[in-house]
Amino acid sequence: MEPTHLPTAFPPTNFQDLAWAILMLPLVSALAITLGLRRSRVLTTTLSLTAVAVGFGLSVWLFFLFGISGQHLAATPLAWLSVGGLDVHLGLTVDSLSTLMLMVVTGVSFLVHLYSTGYMEDDPEYPRYFASLGFFTFSMLGIVLSDNLVQTFIFWELVGVSSYLLVGFWYDKPAAADAAKKAFLTNRMGDFGFILGILLIWGATGTVSFDALAAKMGADPAVLGSLSSLAGILVFLGAVGKSAQLPLHVWLPDAMEGPTPVSALIHAATMVAAGVYMLCRVFFLFELPAAWPGPLAFLGHLSALDVIAWTGGLTSLFAGVIAIQQDDIKRILAYSTLSQLGYMVMAVGCGGPDAAMFHLTTHACFKALLFLGAGSVIYACHHEQNIWRMGGLAKRMPITFWTFLIATMALCGLPVVSSGFYSKDAIFAAALAADRPVLFVLGILVVGLTTLYMSRLVIIAFLGSARSDAASHAADPGRNMTLPLIILAVPSVGLGWLPLGAYFRHAIFPHAAEHGMSEASDVFFEPFNHSPLGAFLGLGLLAFGLSVAYVAYWGASADPMPARLPRLSRALRNRLYADEIYEATVIPLHDGFAALAGGFDRWVVQGFFVRGASGAVDLFGRGLRLAQTGNLQTYAFLFVAGVALVVLLALK
Amino acid sequence: MSSLSLLPLLPFLGALAVLLTPSAYRAAWRYIAIAATGITVLVAVSVFFGFQVGYGGYQMVANHAWVPAIGLNYHVGVDGISVGLLLVASLVAFAASWVSEEIRDHEKLFYTLLLVMVGGVFGALISLDLFFLYFFNELALVPTFLMIGIWGRGPDKNAVAFQITLYLSLGALVALVGLVCLYALSGANTLDVVTLTAWLKEHPLPESSQTLIFGLLLFGFGTLVGLWPFHSWAPQGYGIAPTATAMMHAGILKKVGAFALLRAAFPLLPAGVAQWTQVLAVLCLGNIVYCGWVAMRQRDLNLLFGNSSLAHMGFVFLGLASVSLIGVTGAVLIMVAHALLAALEYALSGHVYRQTGTLDLSRMGGLMRTMPFVGAALVTAMLAGCGVPGFASFAGELTVMFGVWPELPWYVVSAAWGGLAIGGVYMLRAIRQVAHGPAAEATMSGADVTWSGRVPFLVLLVPLILFGVAPYSLVNRIRPSVALVVQRARPVPATAPAPATAAVAAVPAPPAH
Repeated sequence: MEPTHLPTAFPPTNFQDLAWAILMLPLVSALAITLGLRRSRVLTTTLSLTAVAVGFGLSVWLFFLFGISGQHLAATPLAWLSVGGLDVHLGLTVDSLSTLMLMVVTGVSFLVHLYSTGYMEDDPEYPRYFASLGFFTFSMLGIVLSDNLVQTFIFWELVGVSSYLLVGFWYDKPAAADAAKKAFLTNRMGDFGFILGILLIWGATGTVSFDALAAKMGADPAVLGSLSSLAGILVFLGAVGKSAQLPLHVWLPDAMEGPTPVSALIHAATMVAAGVYMLCRVFFLFELPAAWPGPLAFLGHLSALDVIAWTGGLTSLFAGVIAIQQDDIKRILAYSTLSQLGYMVMAVGCGGPDAAMFHLTTHACFKALLFLGAGSVIYACHHEQNIWRMGGLAKRMPITFWTFLIATMALCGLPVVSSGFYSKDAIFAAALAADRPVLFVLGILVVGLTTLYMSRLVIIAFLGSARSDAASHAADPGRNMTLPLIILAVPSVGLGWLPLGAYFRHAIFPHAAEHGMSEASDVFFEPFNHSPLGAFLGLGLLAFGLSVAYVAYWGASADPMPARLPRLSRALRNRLYADEIYEATVIPLHDGFAALAGGFDRWVVQGFFVRGASGAVDLFGRGLRLAQTGNLQTYAFLFVAGVALVVLLALK
Repeated sequence: MSSLSLLPLLPFLGALAVLLTPSAYRAAWRYIAIAATGITVLVAVSVFFGFQVGYGGYQMVANHAWVPAIGLNYHVGVDGISVGLLLVASLVAFAASWVSEEIRDHEKLFYTLLLVMVGGVFGALISLDLFFLYFFNELALVPTFLMIGIWGRGPDKNAVAFQITLYLSLGALVALVGLVCLYALSGANTLDVVTLTAWLKEHPLPESSQTLIFGLLLFGFGTLVGLWPFHSWAPQGYGIAPTATAMMHAGILKKVGAFALLRAAFPLLPAGVAQWTQVLAVLCLGNIVYCGWVAMRQRDLNLLFGNSSLAHMGFVFLGLASVSLIGVTGAVLIMVAHALLAALEYALSGHVYRQTGTLDLSRMGGLMRTMPFVGAALVTAMLAGCGVPGFASFAGELTVMFGVWPELPWYVVSAAWGGLAIGGVYMLRAIRQVAHGPAAEATMSGADVTWSGRVPFLVLLVPLILFGVAPYSLVNRIRPSVALVVQRARPVPATAPAPATAAVAAVPAPPAH
């Protein structure tokens, strides 16, 4: 089958061309820059910004056309590969779930592009940076628009590659090169499970298309038989890698070696969110009844959702605890991201993918804002990242400070005036509704931790007096860098007032009955009616975290915790030894196998077989020298005899 | 004359022209080689696009009786299994001629041998008579040994040349024994594939003979591909071979062994297939997992590429062992993709060696900075080598995984996919050492390629990406022919999860020539 459909020229004759355009524009810009435009900075900037801006505009258009109405656009797929029972095409899904995600990705991507024109201004490899950014945006949009598992996997890997290129952008720096490698390989470990899960699902159903799978699994929940839990967990492993959940979280903090706008884009709003998005896309898979094959039957009723919920909950707690003793502004945000991703994954596990998507959306805005704000600070302080060498920045960088503060409030979930309050509340409500009280309590505790480490960051870096020369001369950056901060502050405050929870509920469960969503007049205080326990407990923990931070850090010149709680502090500063555990177990084990195989190959296969055989043949040849036998024939004879022996043995 | 016959003929004529050109015009030798292989690229491209998609049988056939007494025919043709290989063979040969500037002594002999090797490869790929397939394969192998022995690098070259000669000659000999047995036991009085296929359909060999012959062919041709544990010649040989030789052998000549298995062993000996696939499935894990680990221990870039190339061949064997439409199609796809990839890797390492005088990983670093084009191309090739989408090799490996899933135990599939993860580890570690980081002393002085020097790399890299983005252009050609092979290799329908028989049933007769 030759390609049946190619996107036609603009203006579009139908709406699927719009979706293709959103996907392809960043790729075209990346290719054009790589192939020649890189000679001109102006052209590079214009092209890459235009590509993403147009993409955002078209995404908004599609959102109003298809997202709000809940319509599903049936697009003609492009052929990729079709053989036997394996039919893979590149298709598009334009529905409520994907159009909103399209807006998030293109929107944040545009702002990061804009911000980068300032942040990367002095970098000699400015064009390569924008080409990589475009390539990343393309890969991420591919996941969002994908309509089947294999396509998701393809773009999944491409996101891995482009993040490798971006994290390792300053590849001369050993730390950046190492971090890029680590990010890629850790993701690979998750992908290993993901592809096995895909194979398993395809083996049982004969299809990889989301629509066909949803229909099959809806019609016959036993279609995966005893493999349903296993398939769910394997697919989830993919998300564990991309969304940096325990125990594959170790790559994300290291990935902060990349340029800061990159962290805002891929380590806050998009790549790490891809795992959560994928889980929501295939949520029907997790609704199948739990079942295990014979040898694993002792696992009983453990479902994939149980594993997902606990992985998310524990990641959220684990990362939140570590964050309170980090001194690098980006690392604090990185651990905070891990913690919030843990929330989203936990929400999926609690049967609330709608809550997860809600939090994903708000988090994308306020966390991107936090990273960009951190970028401004780092830029203004001449690449200083240690918060103990900042201080007093609030007065000197007012725009950065106020927007950073708004995002911090959103992250902590300050009631009413922050979007995070609403989306977190949806997660707590999901945990309660799923009857998982332990995870509910855990989630509430993390609110306290979040407030503690974020208040510590704000107090030390922005308030008080300057602790270094660089900090005392800092100033707000130029308009192309402050404008994205101001724009992102708007949704960070107000996104929660929109009925996004209901929107996603409808997107993921189109046939479910409407929950009793209250009247619009109530929307600001909705969580207090909807799940008062979660809302009030969260508020209490928030106040507690804030007070602790105030007592411990207001006016402090050094962190009091290492002196008061030396052991705990040391453990947290060492990231609870996760890297050390890898370095003591998995890595040496694997290197050990390699050493074993390498030694075997050198000493046994080559040494014994080859040299030994040629030595033996040599002796044999000397013995036969009377018969004037040439060496080669003798070897030939021996080799044939050996193979004949193998053949005979195999026949036995 | 079929245009196919031009493919081996042009390089042979080129070899003759090189021989006849006196030393006063020594600069012309390389251009003759480039011209001869360049024209074969055009022919191969026209064959690829002239190929009628959807037909499984042989096309562009020419058939002339040669020695009727022993049923020997000059019988050539192309099908979906060979059409892609012909295309990439011409590209690899062209690139190999281009990069051979490095040869500074006995150039006349070098280009003659190179062109004979190229002609031999084409001859083997278009032959429909197994005698000629074997003959041309041998014709291509002999120059390999001479080139390594004469222009090889380093002090060990004689020992390594000896080892590779030993292995490959003996492998070929075992395969020859198998072919002779096939000739003698079948009673068809020919090794013509088409006649033999029809004959064996009516008069199948007894199971024991099939098992014996299949075993001989498997280990004989398998050794030529580097089947574990008969693999150790490959990385060693490529490690010291002149660039063009490594590109030609690792790129394309090595695939002829697997190609011969698909031509001779699988369709003709179904009972043998049934006996041996389990063994093959285990041995190929030796390639994928074991050779991957060995690759991790290498300190030399070429040895790393050599072992990684063995791991890729393991995926070819894995696909073959599945004896399923999907798996075998994937195996052929990898053969095509890896021809480009392996040739690209050795072409790049050859350039780096010329510029810096070392391939020792610990002495290299920062190539991206000192040689932007070669460094970036090297990183690209290495990413392709660890199975990143966007390259044809990924499409092949993915297809193989889908093909083996219903056919082989899950732990074989897991181990194979684990092998790809291992591939990621050593490739990324190598990128970190070679291309990233600050520039190392040894690589400081190296120069990047000139504009014209980029040609051979682009000739290999661009199709690798094009076939990766649009693998259907290959798969649609491969699929019907593989369907015929699988149908013959496994008369009982496979337990496929989905109706995999649709394509099998839809294979019409070959078009009139």
